[in-house]
Amino acid sequence: MASTLLRGKVTDAAADARSLPAGPVALVLGVTLVVALTAAVAWGSTSIPPGEVWGVVWRRLSGEAPRPGTNDLIVWQLRVPRALLAALVGAGLGLVGTAVQALVRNPLADPYLLGISNGASLGAVAAIVLGLGAGGALGLGLSGAAFAGALATFALVWAVARRGGGFAPLRLVLAGVAIGQFLSGFTSYLVLQAGDEQQTHSVLFWLMGSLSGANWELLAVPAVAVPVALLWLQARARGLNALLMGDETAAGLGVDVTRLRRELFTVTSVLTGVLVAVSGAIAFVALMVPHVCRLVLGGDHRRLLPVSALFGALLLVVVDIVCRTAMDTQELPVGVITSLIGAPALLYLLDRRLGSGS
Amino acid sequence: MRIDIEDLNVAYAGRTVVAGARLVAAEGEITGLVGPNGSGKSTLLRTVYRHLKPTAGRVLLDGRDLREVSPVQSARHVAALPQERGSDFELTVREVVAMGRTPYKRAFAGEDATDRDLVAGALSGVGMEGHAGRRFTALSGGERQRVLLARAFAQDPDVLVLDEPTNHLDIRHQVELLTLLRAQRRTTLVSLHDLNAAASVCDRLHVLHGGAVVASGRPRDVLTTELMAQVFGVRAVVVDHPLTGDPLIAFDHRDPAGAEAAVVSGTGRGSHSAPGHGSEG
Repeated sequence: MASTLLRGKVTDAAADARSLPAGPVALVLGVTLVVALTAAVAWGSTSIPPGEVWGVVWRRLSGEAPRPGTNDLIVWQLRVPRALLAALVGAGLGLVGTAVQALVRNPLADPYLLGISNGASLGAVAAIVLGLGAGGALGLGLSGAAFAGALATFALVWAVARRGGGFAPLRLVLAGVAIGQFLSGFTSYLVLQAGDEQQTHSVLFWLMGSLSGANWELLAVPAVAVPVALLWLQARARGLNALLMGDETAAGLGVDVTRLRRELFTVTSVLTGVLVAVSGAIAFVALMVPHVCRLVLGGDHRRLLPVSALFGALLLVVVDIVCRTAMDTQELPVGVITSLIGAPALLYLLDRRLGSGS
Repeated sequence: MRIDIEDLNVAYAGRTVVAGARLVAAEGEITGLVGPNGSGKSTLLRTVYRHLKPTAGRVLLDGRDLREVSPVQSARHVAALPQERGSDFELTVREVVAMGRTPYKRAFAGEDATDRDLVAGALSGVGMEGHAGRRFTALSGGERQRVLLARAFAQDPDVLVLDEPTNHLDIRHQVELLTLLRAQRRTTLVSLHDLNAAASVCDRLHVLHGGAVVASGRPRDVLTTELMAQVFGVRAVVVDHPLTGDPLIAFDHRDPAGAEAAVVSGTGRGSHSAPGHGSEG
């Protein structure tokens, strides 16, 4: 009797959601992100002092000629684009994860659940194996094939999942999972057809996600798409909140649920396509980031969206540093590290959810 | 504000569920919607809070067809409490109540003093002012329902639409919730399963049967022995409540109305004496 009473008390205390204020959290994340970006450019096979990193960036931005004998090329042509790509892809994955979880009203959902990344992977793998991608380099041709695959899958899932002009969450997930599995069957078949070891290697690298193809040209599309998506979603943050409570509640609050779902599915699919096209299918970031942010900030999308973007950016920049520096002989695909962190994190979150009851 | 429903037809999942319903929810009154399962109560209410669109007929808000008004505009006048009961997401009680301000806010707008006052007022109005920081999922059924009602209050509506608000609540919480509604003196359209609760709380009742309104009027005039038999299929008499003087419907819980139904239930009763059930008590 006494122990049940005590347990009742403990659960009551745990039920109090002690959310941290969003402003300070965002500030800390922002500052940490700048530090992490600096570290990402400074560390590597050649170590470069942080002062020199910012010196190069400053001279480039102010249009001065690069100084001879400095690490100008390494900093500006290799490491800065890569660090920025990591930040943009991470931010995008954080956003798209948050939005898809609201779209299908399931906190354990993930944009890859809707099949889009399977389509992008099929496009990219087809390009590599069938020889459209110029030696398997992560060039624009390959990204184009991946994005085309993503859009085609989006159209297919849309056609299967739609009913009466709208999408029921469960129907959308089932259509996405089924079509995604179907497409990954094709991908596996193509991998077996790969001509040589080099091809197999680039396919695997792509499937696991990698930022090694980063260059300034590759940055252009995500540099536009991610901020636009953030603004678009932020403008609809209250609508996303209302969706969490159910379609009828949202309708009663003046939200056009059918239209919002349609638009959300489109925007998240296009953004997922853009991200997978430049970096491959990086696992778990989109699932984990919104979840962690929700634990810290609570579920209000007005705070959740920008903080998820910041935290996603920070996470991927740090993970990419690990991928580049963990092994002397070769680089690890980003997806390897995100999976190694992500899978235990997911188990912990599941455990916490089941533990919290009801 | 008042609601007029004129010759409403609504289809749901390809089936016409509401067929030619006509009713009025008068200004400042509590209007009850009663009827057996599947009679179209929820579907009719969903059309009023614009989750569903009518296939024919109109819903008028103070004489104006709802379809001429944007969803956001009508949400400023009509607040709904659907049967949905929540969310797996980490929302706090306060965040849920603050959603009531959604139809008033432009994109990117933050909370202003009016929003904060209305949210605080709505929370204290349902007696949950001390629980603002708690997680919504951690609340009991009765607490959840009060919080969802507070969300509707925070919407500052002229009309409240509630779909079976006392479902799954124990009797104490049912009485508390209905008392809250009576104290509001807002135009209220509410569906209720409990006919005795409806008889006590509602100023006017509409009885739905097969998607049409088959009786309307004051509870005492509507709830008769004949109606109980014809619409609900039960034997009942209506007496005066010894405490309140409201109509009290005394049901015969042993036999439904009509000989045919009685035979069916009679055979059913005999064959269902499973021995496993004894251990549950």
